[in-house]
Amino acid sequence: MLTFLRHRILSSLIPLLVVVLGVFFLARLTGDPANLYLPLSATQEMRETFSAQHGFDDPLVVQFGDYLAQLAHLDFGESLRTAQPASEAVLRAFPATLQLAGTTMLLAIAGAVVVGSLAAYRPNSPADRIAGFLSSTAASTPDFWFAIMGVLVFAVTLDWLPTSGTVGAAAWVLPVTTLLIRPFGVLVQVVRGAMVTALSEPYIKVARSKGASEQRVIFKHALRNAGAPALTVAGDLTVGLINGAVVVETIFGWPGIGKLMIDSILQRDFAVLQAAVLLTSLTIFALNILIDSCYALLDARVRQGAMT
Amino acid sequence: MKPPLRRPPVATGPPGRRAAVLVAVGVLLTGGCTVANSGSAAGADTAQVVLPEEPPTLEPCDASLTATGRVVRSNITEPLAERVPKTGELEPKLATGWKQTSPTTWRFTLRKGVTFHDGSAFDAKDAAFSVRRTVDSGIECNVDGYVFGDSEITATPVDGTTLQVTSEEPDPILPLRLSFVEMVPTSTDAKAKVREPVGTGPYRIDTWNQGINLRLDRYDGYWGKAPDYAAALYTWRAEGSVRAAMISSGEADVAVGLAPADGAGEHAVEYPNNETSYLRMDAGKAPLDDLRVRQAINYAIDRKGLVASVFAGLGKPAGQLVPDGVTGHNPDIKAWPHDKQRAKSLIDEARSDGVPVDKKITIIGRNGIYPKAAEAMEVVQSALSEAGLKVEVKMLDVNAWTEYLLRPFPRDAGPTLLQAQHGNQAGDAAFTMDQIYGSKGAQSSYGTPGLDERIQRAERAAGRDRETGFADALAYQGEKVVRDAVLAHMTGIIALAPDVTYVPDSASGDEMHLAEIHPAG
Repeated sequence: MLTFLRHRILSSLIPLLVVVLGVFFLARLTGDPANLYLPLSATQEMRETFSAQHGFDDPLVVQFGDYLAQLAHLDFGESLRTAQPASEAVLRAFPATLQLAGTTMLLAIAGAVVVGSLAAYRPNSPADRIAGFLSSTAASTPDFWFAIMGVLVFAVTLDWLPTSGTVGAAAWVLPVTTLLIRPFGVLVQVVRGAMVTALSEPYIKVARSKGASEQRVIFKHALRNAGAPALTVAGDLTVGLINGAVVVETIFGWPGIGKLMIDSILQRDFAVLQAAVLLTSLTIFALNILIDSCYALLDARVRQGAMT
Repeated sequence: MKPPLRRPPVATGPPGRRAAVLVAVGVLLTGGCTVANSGSAAGADTAQVVLPEEPPTLEPCDASLTATGRVVRSNITEPLAERVPKTGELEPKLATGWKQTSPTTWRFTLRKGVTFHDGSAFDAKDAAFSVRRTVDSGIECNVDGYVFGDSEITATPVDGTTLQVTSEEPDPILPLRLSFVEMVPTSTDAKAKVREPVGTGPYRIDTWNQGINLRLDRYDGYWGKAPDYAAALYTWRAEGSVRAAMISSGEADVAVGLAPADGAGEHAVEYPNNETSYLRMDAGKAPLDDLRVRQAINYAIDRKGLVASVFAGLGKPAGQLVPDGVTGHNPDIKAWPHDKQRAKSLIDEARSDGVPVDKKITIIGRNGIYPKAAEAMEVVQSALSEAGLKVEVKMLDVNAWTEYLLRPFPRDAGPTLLQAQHGNQAGDAAFTMDQIYGSKGAQSSYGTPGLDERIQRAERAAGRDRETGFADALAYQGEKVVRDAVLAHMTGIIALAPDVTYVPDSASGDEMHLAEIHPAG
């Protein structure tokens, strides 16, 4: 198992390095940040001072070397915009996104298991068709449109919920619902497909012939075997959510990593962008390794396959 | 059904452990209903303002940054004098008066009985320190670049309530420049910027929950009239329609920076926002180097139609970059009339003289520079094509666009028309003319010796001569140089809740005085 883990971690380092390199160099190809941070009437001398202060006057390779040397000391640099350590901004924003994504996935999985199982219990029944229609709609609803409509209907017209913000439990409803619809829609389809397959397996007939209750058949026998593909997709969707929370965070004023990343791209705040991408990438790699390790723990073939 | 994104496990064992792991992770991630570092709700007697973005800092020497200035200026910190947007006059603030004692020297008499939020008294030492810290301390203040540039000034306390400021060159508008310098106590860090300053303003910083909100409390020791609200709570939402919705739902009292499409409805208040939209022409490159082509472009654009349709009626067709209320505005300059025939015949005339009018001209647009920015450029493109020019539109984000705005300009760009907008928040044409129309101006694509001379003469003049000097330079630009196609003086929108009153003015986009927000009735 340790060999498997070591192998996985080592093979993750290469894409991580590519991400770090890519973000560093691509960000610097998009124009001089001095144009954004200095007034338009700033003198040439002010521009040169700004560049020198932030090391932008060095060759790119030298800048990258300095960046790596800083990283070795866990120094992520300073935000151009706020003059605070970039790590502070990132560590402040990250938990908010994790909370949002975690809550969303738990609800999506729970909801999808119930709806998907009900749909699969009688394929092609009205319940199945309704579930199919709803899940397809949910999986293809643009989150931006859903968020704005949610604000207009539930906050402005009905006055049931706050428009945005983070104060109070009610503030969670719209962001979580918006973020939830796509993974929920996808997962309902996955659970339904897996359950339809599982329910037609011989061992289900055996269980029924032994007099097991329908509830026990569905939730104990069938769901246990249908759970694996659903969890696989759920893992991938969680990874997507951590990056995909940008729209939701922007609209609802949720102080998370997605919005921070977008802001730092727009404002050419290199240090914050690099720190945000690095932490997000590390989290995604860790999640991937965690999910794979779970499989490896359960199946020797996965472990051995990784070493060949 | 979409195929799973990951290779499904081959395992056939019980998935209970996997489920347990995922659920455990989920539980760990969710911390009940408290968002990490979330703030508290506002109570009554609090003015709630929703902004498009969080202030990057509250450093007073960066108050020329809109996002910082609209929170800091005259709320937390104050200058010696303040410009009245309506009249353009300077009115006393922390100085009760000022006079010029020589062409390069000004003396300011400071207000007595003023204290900082830390309880210390404000005097000439603080004033001199604040000026030096802003213009000459090496901490790269935004105000320094915006207002002072190359000019060297020294500030000296004469006695407790007298400050002397000397400039290297005669500077008729030194008090106006100094109105951008916010006063801070000598205890403020002189070697680094501060994020949360101590000032003399009617409000002091209470708590700043970064990413969430910023709360200011009324300062009981304020020297002037106490503001109506005991506190102010700033929040920020990037999406305009959400800011407008917060007014409708009662979550905010004032929402700033709205567009017509944001749906503020009956809560919307329109005001001239000091910005003027224009197209900057590459007058050094063919075919734009021919005056007739530049005139034709001006005749071809239907400014009234543009304002009425694309800008939803918000704005006023304009003929110059310096709006009414700014020193140097020329009331005789009118917007170019829309004359399709004239435009066509000028292009034909240029063509017959060998001007390559068929050469492709690129409009360099900037997404979001004002509402419906791309649509506005499509309207212009269509009008210019009709006049006989070959025009294409390229919409860019702010960074790529800035490369075209500022010298050195990109090479091989061909002839361009740059979509631009200028807001003169300082109130004097000097802050427009040299950088935008001077031959060597940072944002200038073309100038002439005649125009340079007029600009420089006006900059050295004072009072009435200054006003007429700049007005003359603007008229000369519009008739003889025609470097621009000025489009419209723009209109901003804020939204107000029914229970507050606030009258926006042309400076509201850059500074919003909380003391001017009152409970309705």
